[in-house]
Amino acid sequence: MNNEALYQERFNRIQKAIRLEPVDRIPAVYMGVAFAPRYMGMSIAEFCTNHEATVTMNLAAMDKLGGLDGINLAGAGRITAILTAMWLSRLGVPGRDLPPDSLWQVREAEVMTIDDYDFIIKNGWQAFLGSYMPRVIDMAEFGEAMGWLMANAPRCVNTYRERGYVPVCGAATSPPYEYFCGGRSMQKFIFDLHRIPDKVQAAMDAIMPDIIGQAIGVARASGSAGVWVGGWRSASALISPKLWDRFAWPYFVKIVNALVEAGLTPVLHWDQDWTRDLGHLRELPAKKCILNPDGMTNMRKFKEAAGDRMAMMGDVPAAMFAAGTPEDVYNYVRDLVRLFGSTGLILCPGCDAPINTKPENMEAFVAASREYGKAA
Amino acid sequence: MSDQLAMAMADLEETTVLNLVRQRLEAGDNPMAILASCREGMTQVGKRFEACEYFISELIMAAEIFKQATALLSSRIKTDVMGGRGKVVVGTVKGDIHDIGKDIVVSLLKAANYDVRDLGVDAPPQKVVEAVKETGATVVGLSGLLTVAFDSMKETVAALSAAGLRSKVKVMIGGGSVSETVQQYAGADAWGTDAQAAVSLCNRWIKEVAK
Repeated sequence: MNNEALYQERFNRIQKAIRLEPVDRIPAVYMGVAFAPRYMGMSIAEFCTNHEATVTMNLAAMDKLGGLDGINLAGAGRITAILTAMWLSRLGVPGRDLPPDSLWQVREAEVMTIDDYDFIIKNGWQAFLGSYMPRVIDMAEFGEAMGWLMANAPRCVNTYRERGYVPVCGAATSPPYEYFCGGRSMQKFIFDLHRIPDKVQAAMDAIMPDIIGQAIGVARASGSAGVWVGGWRSASALISPKLWDRFAWPYFVKIVNALVEAGLTPVLHWDQDWTRDLGHLRELPAKKCILNPDGMTNMRKFKEAAGDRMAMMGDVPAAMFAAGTPEDVYNYVRDLVRLFGSTGLILCPGCDAPINTKPENMEAFVAASREYGKAA
Repeated sequence: MSDQLAMAMADLEETTVLNLVRQRLEAGDNPMAILASCREGMTQVGKRFEACEYFISELIMAAEIFKQATALLSSRIKTDVMGGRGKVVVGTVKGDIHDIGKDIVVSLLKAANYDVRDLGVDAPPQKVVEAVKETGATVVGLSGLLTVAFDSMKETVAALSAAGLRSKVKVMIGGGSVSETVQQYAGADAWGTDAQAAVSLCNRWIKEVAK
């Protein structure tokens, strides 16, 4: 079978899983941004400075592992510049600020100020980013990284397809909560939610059209049907229902509905524990979205709450990849398959297989996906 | 709860708490009694967290209010009466620079009257060992968000053993994707899903030592 036929077979398998239709074999997709270079022998410092490395390392790791249907988020370009833009935070970069073969890290600091909310309300998101980004990254570096990304991202995403793999997501975004929480620092942002809630909400409302428009634009340019909608600090385990109901969930709903209306598939990439609020997933369009948790959200409760309306892509925990055994991984995949059966499941590392994933654990993930996925 | 200040603290009414502290100070109230009211409120915050009425967002806000209240009291209270419940060494382990969870743990332990040596982030094993030797702490809290922290936690526990301190301290770990698997991997005594769990563990261990 040539790569295009292979891609079509895998694409149809994943689309069936999203529509909660039975599949011939449960799809298994890759996610391990920092694991890939470590697995393939490239230093993380080199990985962070090489525009093409995200694609080449992911593909090399996927080829070596074999048997995968696709990749969760088809990364491209310099990871540290992209993360800076998503977190509005300074990053520690391996080889420059950190040891060459260590992991990049977000530096938690209050960079965005309370006055910035007023600026955003008055001038909009794009004007704010123009004035803000120099506070967190060298603009020559950022401009080069983003310029390369804009020129090459569609080609990069298509490279996965040419190799027979499905890029489930070709674009990424997150609700305003995550941007502001990153820029303000978590502690200061929580203070803001208590002390100046109306101002925060006004700023959130002000940036929504830009966030949605950009996500749709990038997704369409990439040629991928999916958009990764990230949530980590807006998780149910971290904030009270009162805050979540006002500052987190309504924005997820607006983004998801806009993406679905645009013919795209929102992938709710939810780190941390969201169990408390899983019932809200019933408010989203049925069989059009994917929940992508990291192993901390209760999957049994997800099945009860929204398993008849939404597929799940995940959720083998990062800690298991790093500190567990192949048997642990094997059993985890087996239990997922037993829970979901042949509908609504796409096997995937939860969040992202970490840099110190034991290779034998990743190989066990793939082997278990093949064995149990076929038997479902 | 015994008084208005404790209730305001428990309800996270920042302005009310700070006004009441100032009013009671101006009225000549004993600063230790005012501190006790704040602590009573914080105890209630912990109970509400355990009852899933409060979440991390409320713990962060409560810690901030408590910090401001104790700042108003600090010049009137002798520092040696603070932290009388026990000594704890806390830090984010080597290779990890995340401090949100660690900082909440430090704040809550201080509010619960523990004497906390905060080692900051990226703390190498030997720094933890030295801090335990210097303070005589009986509890060590190791934090880490990244999975690379697991190895540092393991190395830190090993360093405590090598220094002959392992039998004298209880080690708790927390943060990010820490789990029972990681606790076993690192050789720690316990792991916690949240900052309040750190306080509960310390309370339990200090009681065990006292028996």
